[in-house]
Amino acid sequence: MFRLLEETGFSRVRSAVVPRFRFRKESTQNSAEAYGVKAVMMTALKPAPDVN
Amino acid sequence: MTDPAGVQASLELTLKDEIVRMYQEVANNPTGEFHFFHGRDAAQLFGYAPEWLDRAPAGAVASFAGVGNPHERSNLQPGETVLDLGSGAGLDAIIASWRVGPTGRVVGIDLNPTMCLKAQANAAASGAKMECQEGRMEEIPLPDASVDVVISNGVINLSFRKRRVVEEMFRVLRPGGRISITDIVSAKQLSQSIVNDPKLWAS
Repeated sequence: MFRLLEETGFSRVRSAVVPRFRFRKESTQNSAEAYGVKAVMMTALKPAPDVN
Repeated sequence: MTDPAGVQASLELTLKDEIVRMYQEVANNPTGEFHFFHGRDAAQLFGYAPEWLDRAPAGAVASFAGVGNPHERSNLQPGETVLDLGSGAGLDAIIASWRVGPTGRVVGIDLNPTMCLKAQANAAASGAKMECQEGRMEEIPLPDASVDVVISNGVINLSFRKRRVVEEMFRVLRPGGRISITDIVSAKQLSQSIVNDPKLWAS
């Protein structure tokens, strides 16, 4: 996702893990961890044209 | 011979139906058990201000099914135009509406027209101004450069065409506009059995 944002032209792409996210069911959480599944917060900017 | 594009289109259609079904179920039966935490407990866990949750209609709070808090870094300002991708029962759009104020504009997009009606009713009940349009995030029904901020909460991961979704967000944003989204990502390629199972994918 991070890479997709940059490739599309977004700048200042930032991401941080949502620390308290987890799945309700233990079995789902375990599978998620095995795949490195996590919730992230992402911000990015559509660059404005340079006026100079 | 199997046509890969045809298989993907068919899978996408099945997935759309499953997503509509699952999130409609959350809205209709907010006390039910799902793979994910939802409702007020989930919103509080992600740092939603208690006063927002007290002020918002109970139905919007109970149906909250986000994975984080896109408001934490959205820095919404009065007068801004906000797009909420996958607005569901409307909690994030309602909060955005309070933050951009009467001179701002909030548009929600949702696959499910019933959820759009619900979100608009919830917004009206809380004195918030929100328009909701039925639509897909891969084809956002808004003009180019018409939005200041895109917010989204746990929705983009549901798309098979994430690149397309990101391109659409870029298209509708004004130059200098920004996104503030929370979503699920995976460090590893998901197995084909998960990808081909709409119930697992929609979870």
